[in-house]
Amino acid sequence: MQIRGKVAKKYDDDINTDYIIPAYLLQESWDKQFFADHAFESFDPTFGSVCRANKESIVVAANNFGCGSSREQAVYAIKYNNVVAVVAQSFPDIFFRNCLNNGLLPIQILDTSGISIGNELVVDLDARSLRDDTEGIAYPIIATDAAIEQMKRGGFLGIVRERLRQKLKAQQARASSQ
Amino acid sequence: MPGSTITEKIVSRAMGKKAKAGDLIEALPVDKLYFNEVIGPPAILNFEKDFEDVYTESGKKLQVFNPSRIAFMPDHTVPSCSIKVSQGIRLMSDFAKDQGIAMYKEGDGIEHTIASEEAFVLPGEIAVATDSHTCTQGALGSLAFGIGTTEGENLLATGELYSFTVPETINIKVNGKFQRGVYAKDLVLHVLGMMGEGGASKRVAEYTGPTIDSLDMEGRFTICNLSVEMSARTAIMNPDSRTFAYVNEALARRKLSMTDEMRGMVAKSDMDATFSKTVEVDASSIEPTVSLPHSPANAKPVSEVSDPINSVFLGSCANARESDLTIAAKILKGRKVSPNTNLLVIPASRRVYNWAMDNGLLKIFADAGANIESSNCGPCFGKHMGILAPGDRCLSTSNRNYKGRMGSPEAFIYLGSPAVAAATAVEGRIADPRKYLPAGES
Repeated sequence: MQIRGKVAKKYDDDINTDYIIPAYLLQESWDKQFFADHAFESFDPTFGSVCRANKESIVVAANNFGCGSSREQAVYAIKYNNVVAVVAQSFPDIFFRNCLNNGLLPIQILDTSGISIGNELVVDLDARSLRDDTEGIAYPIIATDAAIEQMKRGGFLGIVRERLRQKLKAQQARASSQ
Repeated sequence: MPGSTITEKIVSRAMGKKAKAGDLIEALPVDKLYFNEVIGPPAILNFEKDFEDVYTESGKKLQVFNPSRIAFMPDHTVPSCSIKVSQGIRLMSDFAKDQGIAMYKEGDGIEHTIASEEAFVLPGEIAVATDSHTCTQGALGSLAFGIGTTEGENLLATGELYSFTVPETINIKVNGKFQRGVYAKDLVLHVLGMMGEGGASKRVAEYTGPTIDSLDMEGRFTICNLSVEMSARTAIMNPDSRTFAYVNEALARRKLSMTDEMRGMVAKSDMDATFSKTVEVDASSIEPTVSLPHSPANAKPVSEVSDPINSVFLGSCANARESDLTIAAKILKGRKVSPNTNLLVIPASRRVYNWAMDNGLLKIFADAGANIESSNCGPCFGKHMGILAPGDRCLSTSNRNYKGRMGSPEAFIYLGSPAVAAATAVEGRIADPRKYLPAGES
């Protein structure tokens, strides 16, 4: 499974979710697109327009991208600006899991310093490789088998629905056997 | 075979089989789940949207997995500051009534304070909530961490967390006695300074050692609370007699007492547990500490800082409990807040507020010229009650001083202990609390 995109933005270490979407907006809408319209509003106001200029954008950062608050709205803010993947050297757990749950690819590689804005990247999940077609370099993707599976699946919803079905069936069986 | 960490033991108990760091758990059952009014409403709406048809197929009404394991705690923007916030609280309250879930009232307290005060979360449990500071409950010896909206809706349906990797643990071993004027907050800011914002990424920060053993529960909550600022998966401490005294008191307030089942949940790390790393901290070398703008890990001894401050916030899930208000009141008693500075005091719960009223602390704050508000998260996250303007400088006892966190991105936020906050409010600049401490006060 391959996902292509163009590097639209590049950031340094420790980009927190407050920078991605400020907390004063979180309670003002239940619509995911609303958060995309306000992405990086105080920290990097051109984020939305620059990312939306491509059909598929990729955001690149150094270490610890998405740290701080657990707000999932940070993922909506990125994803709904045509961003298909975030490539970074590390992600804190909550943000990483929020990405997986929303089909935004959190791609970890050892060193992002050689990737520049405008480069064409290809995420190859089967080969576990991030190809930089502009520079002609490939980076191994650091990920567990489970994370790769979830990235391919685009989230857990199907699994959770099936799990709920089984649980309800088991409940019913218990009730009727009593 | 090496021993297990408390984290491994809690997961093993939940799974009914031995688990170790690195194991992938397909479905982890969660003991307690709580929501604030920021994420509760969208999680409820998504739960209804994504699962209603599954219940209908099975001939059932929409029903959360177990209402007695769930609590709703509106705390961030209360009393509500906008129509949309009020709508969210109404939505939660209607859903709670329909489902039989406990719904706290606006002003009852900050979620991470009432979760432990109300004995909702207990030692040895797995607790999750839609807020990164859920790690506060680690002080009880529970495995507690923040989740996003989607995991929240999934948990409402099944009570399970999917594809959970048992985290490795960093042992943060703290030795030595605190100097005068040094508190848990100074210790954890110092640790953040040592580790950096990403320093504990993916791992649990387990605090051990005689300094931790000698700390009261409130100090332990503060340390666990701020550990997410070094990107720890969560923080945890091994329960001891102080933990049980705290939990027994909390249960007694609800006319409950500890049961054998509760005791059976309790876990502690083995002496020969495997840690991915051990970090030694000498508490006796730590001075009163502040974190400078714009990172919680930008820690400096307060003696090196004297920047002017026009706003002081004593509150938040990090530092607004009884001992925090007590030390601030000792410093503010008979003194006035600087004419250049606004002091805002927000107790961490209704219980703490009423306790502070009964014991004369609120009068001390009011006499000093403070503004006192009912319990809520306050200006910590920049939505209401003391938003900073460009150029404002705020000393806050909260946990995050990111650029723009409390209002304008051109404001400056410093983090410190309640003692530093009180001394700073008096002087109108970052001040060392030691000169204000009454004689004999540690």
